[in-house]
Amino acid sequence: MRLLALALRRFLWMPPTLLGLTLIVFSVSHVIPSDPARVLAGENAPQEQVEALRRKYGLDKPLPQQFVRYVTDVVSGNMGVSLYTQRPVATDLVERLPATFELALFAITLAVLIGLPLGVVSALYRNTWLDHGVRLVTIAGLAMAAFWLAILLQLLFSMQWNLTPVQGRIDGWGPDPITGFYTVDALIRGDIETFLTSLRYLFLPMITLAIPAMATIVRFTRAGVLNVMNSNFVFYQAAMGLPRRVVIWKYILRAALIGTLTQIGLVFGNLLAGAVVVETVFSWPGLGTYAYNSILQSDYNAIMGFTLFTGSVFIGMNLLVDIAQAVLDPRGR
Amino acid sequence: MRALRRLMRDRALVTGTVIVSALVLAAIFATPLANFPSHVTGFDPAFRLKPPGEVFWLGTDRMGADLYSRLLFGARLTILISVTATLVAVLIGVPMGLIAGYFDRWYSDLLMRISDVFLAVPQIVLAIAIAQTLGPAIQNVILALSATYWPFWARIVYAETRSLRNEVFIEAAIAMGASPLRVMVLHVLPSIASSIIVRTTIGMGATILAAASLGFLGLGAPPPTPEWGRMIAESREFLPQAWWYATAPGIAILLVVMGFNLLGDGLRDAIDPRIRRGS
Amino acid sequence: MSQSFGSFGRRGALAGGTALSLFGASAEAAGRTRYITANNNPYDILDPHQVFDIGRIAIRLNMYDALVRWVDNPPKLEMWLAEKVDISADGLVYTFTLRPGVKFHDGSPLTADDVVYSMERILGIKKGAYGLFADVVKPGTTKAVDPRTVRFTLNKPFAVFQAVLSELWVVNAKVVKSHEKDGDWGAEWLTRNEAGSGGYRLRRFDPAIGFQAERFEGHFMPFGKGAVDDADFRVSMETATRVLGMIKGEFTTTDGYMPAEQVQRMKESGNVWFKEAESIRTFYFIMNHAKAPMNDVNLRRAISCMFDYEGFNNNILGGTVVRNPGIIPNPMWGAPKDLKGYSYDIDKAKWYLAQVKEKLRTIQIGAMAGYPQSEQAAQMLQAGAAKAGLDIKVVAEPYTTIAPKLDDPERAHDLVPLWRSAYFADPHNWTGFLFNSKNFKSGNASFYKNPRIDELTDAALVITDQEKRRPLYEEVSRILVEDAVGLFVNNTKFYGPYGKGVKSVRFCPIGDTQDLRWIEMNT
Repeated sequence: MRLLALALRRFLWMPPTLLGLTLIVFSVSHVIPSDPARVLAGENAPQEQVEALRRKYGLDKPLPQQFVRYVTDVVSGNMGVSLYTQRPVATDLVERLPATFELALFAITLAVLIGLPLGVVSALYRNTWLDHGVRLVTIAGLAMAAFWLAILLQLLFSMQWNLTPVQGRIDGWGPDPITGFYTVDALIRGDIETFLTSLRYLFLPMITLAIPAMATIVRFTRAGVLNVMNSNFVFYQAAMGLPRRVVIWKYILRAALIGTLTQIGLVFGNLLAGAVVVETVFSWPGLGTYAYNSILQSDYNAIMGFTLFTGSVFIGMNLLVDIAQAVLDPRGR
Repeated sequence: MRALRRLMRDRALVTGTVIVSALVLAAIFATPLANFPSHVTGFDPAFRLKPPGEVFWLGTDRMGADLYSRLLFGARLTILISVTATLVAVLIGVPMGLIAGYFDRWYSDLLMRISDVFLAVPQIVLAIAIAQTLGPAIQNVILALSATYWPFWARIVYAETRSLRNEVFIEAAIAMGASPLRVMVLHVLPSIASSIIVRTTIGMGATILAAASLGFLGLGAPPPTPEWGRMIAESREFLPQAWWYATAPGIAILLVVMGFNLLGDGLRDAIDPRIRRGS
Repeated sequence: MSQSFGSFGRRGALAGGTALSLFGASAEAAGRTRYITANNNPYDILDPHQVFDIGRIAIRLNMYDALVRWVDNPPKLEMWLAEKVDISADGLVYTFTLRPGVKFHDGSPLTADDVVYSMERILGIKKGAYGLFADVVKPGTTKAVDPRTVRFTLNKPFAVFQAVLSELWVVNAKVVKSHEKDGDWGAEWLTRNEAGSGGYRLRRFDPAIGFQAERFEGHFMPFGKGAVDDADFRVSMETATRVLGMIKGEFTTTDGYMPAEQVQRMKESGNVWFKEAESIRTFYFIMNHAKAPMNDVNLRRAISCMFDYEGFNNNILGGTVVRNPGIIPNPMWGAPKDLKGYSYDIDKAKWYLAQVKEKLRTIQIGAMAGYPQSEQAAQMLQAGAAKAGLDIKVVAEPYTTIAPKLDDPERAHDLVPLWRSAYFADPHNWTGFLFNSKNFKSGNASFYKNPRIDELTDAALVITDQEKRRPLYEEVSRILVEDAVGLFVNNTKFYGPYGKGVKSVRFCPIGDTQDLRWIEMNT
């Protein structure tokens, strides 16, 4: 019951939070000394043409009026038209979504597959050379600028060793979308070649995103395992004469994994944030590049659409994490 | 076992302190340390894109300026940006967290909801939007970062203040007739100072990373400012030949951020041994 | 498959009706020639009347036709959709006779009505090349005399009218009209679709990837041996990617304005050959004359002596450019052959600086972020100015921020280093357009007003005889240098990289070699 109340409360707070977010981003993007109508009109355009565009997109109205209009539109399901791509922002976002999600899912999977065991091993063999090595890697992983790591990987893997493409998502044209995930689509069609190609393209951005995520997971897992190992509960189990192996597998791991699992949602959120910079370096045609380009182009509707969208995902993710935490680990509440 | 752990913990603290001190020293003594102090703005096009060697220890950039000298001067900028931005964020976040945590009125919730709004979207996205709006300049980077990072302090201070509010010594102070301001500043703040310091040290690392990202995306200080992120961005056009151009500033960022993170971890253990170490 | 297209709307358009999902594989199997361009600019809008730039010119050159077309270097204007033109004695009425038998990609004939509609559409949506026509052609004045005759009546003589008609891309009026929505001239639809008659027709388009086109066999101009069958235009922003793609043979060509190091690297690979040509694209600093002390000629002269032309052109750019003392590119007629520009001379700069009457202050350069050459030139000038004792501050802003400021003398930077490309090969493109005081807020971003320049450039637009116009433009060039109206740096050289499969290309400064019909492949 408390859980339900918590979820409901969080859920009810979502619209005001999003409204606040819209207001912030709106204010930020509209005081820009830049002029999207001018940009849109092109470098050889006369003034009158710029004015016409400004009227067309309502950019000549007072700001509060523009804001109210925007919010009413969004509530009625219309996120407006991107000034730059001249298409509905919602269409643009939906089209870009699979690329980002595919990348993020691959990255998080890799991060979990490597990070969890590393964290456990690091805790079990605490203070050995192995533990120190792992910790060094995680400390470095969290301190590395993502864009620099990306460039370093490009320099080595693509330019020096010629193993992976420098950037992009596929050779030219991807498979016709079923899910929009190139790897999945290729598998559904049984097209192994396309599958392998998309993996090659995924490789570098995936690693770039996965390394900081992995470092976080290692830290949490290690701390979680240590926590359980030091608790009276485990001490008691061991005293009861249960073999160490059983204690580790049955109690320590279970408790630690649950703790880590709840962190994955947050890590995933951070990953989406990292995607803005990483996608830009790899020209990955996802939401990150979309956001970055719209900001550079002062494409108001697109910026706000992206922010609203990510904001919803973020809040939703936090909500899920809270619920998961409450369900899996009632002591935490 | 305990001694070993202590050693490890201290090692983090020592390494962090060494790196951060090195950064500060590099910033202070940039001019005497640099081989070409004039290369902050000057250069020699005849020596453009030279690999590391005896004259140019870390090679030269696209204009023919010594990268080693520029990295040193970049340290100044890094400190300026991260310290100022973090300080401003602390000055906004801590009072907000204190007020929201200490009182239990309608505005407590409101203040925390406002910080939630800022946390509802990736920090870097907001920072990019603000920096782009204000135009590329150092002070705008600082503003963009402090405007987006303050909620972290607000949150941590809020949580700590909340948990302290029912402590006996706070209640005693209130019973003695101390004003809320007095209680907050003289009783609550000292008790949570360690958390704030730890958070701030780690926050410095995050700020440096974010500032470098803004520089990399072309939203930081304009050329010829020796900003590390910008230097990496400049190098991309000349890869893979000019590998040193991208490598050197990246390592500088890595080391400095690592230094602050280690220092933060070390401080946390040293100040508050109750908190179990993450790694 | 049709369901998957619809559900996500992922592929913006699949034109031509025949849906082949595995374009590449099936195309190569049939032994067709394939030409892949890696472009450093996004192809986001296909509508030929909404854009007017060089970055997206491949769309217009390949899928659309105009009455006339630029070819070769120096550029010559050839009759294209038109067969001949009659110009009335007063230079106001242009009557074009269209070629017989021209067909759109949907098979319907191209008639004078389509030309009329296209002109009205440009004037109606007020975008792209609108500024070229707005002054001289009024809506409703273009008439279809008969299906093969179209008549333009100008409201004043305009010597470059024929030259700018190369931007009047003819769209299929019937098709576009059928997609009009709330008087938008079909803009929304044509942004993502194509309705032209050009040598290539659209197969596939995705703004994030680029577009594909196939050769249109029904085109009026026969293709040569070894012509490109399938064309693929892809967006690839990163220089390193494009270079690597060229070396590996993944791309057939990419932009011809790379840093010298990258050109060298491609040459060394042995997989790439280069077409070199002096283009007509001048690099210069716009100076904002509206704000003191930039209105002082001696300051402008001083600044012109502070720039290390040699160091920039030969060291920084590795000699991939040619010094251009004036604004009109050297190879273009109207550029005086004996024009002597400024040279790097700190002493002279100091001398000029001493003559400045206005109060000196920090001068600001607005460099274009993301354009390394613009930033490097700014740094170069800054360093020279420091030696001469003038304080210069550089700010780097994206073009999107700089562009609107260029319209406002108060907000405009003192100096902006950028290029002036060829939109049409006429000296007017670099002179009247940029420095006539009538063009404040459109082309004249210098806010420079000189009655003599106005007089000369106006006069040159009324005369149609090139030999009579030449001396006028030569005088304009000299005045601009004498007055140090801008800081004129260089003219760009084109180093077009091509894969081994390409036999020959035909370069024209308007669009470089992106007009694919002139490409010959090895077969």
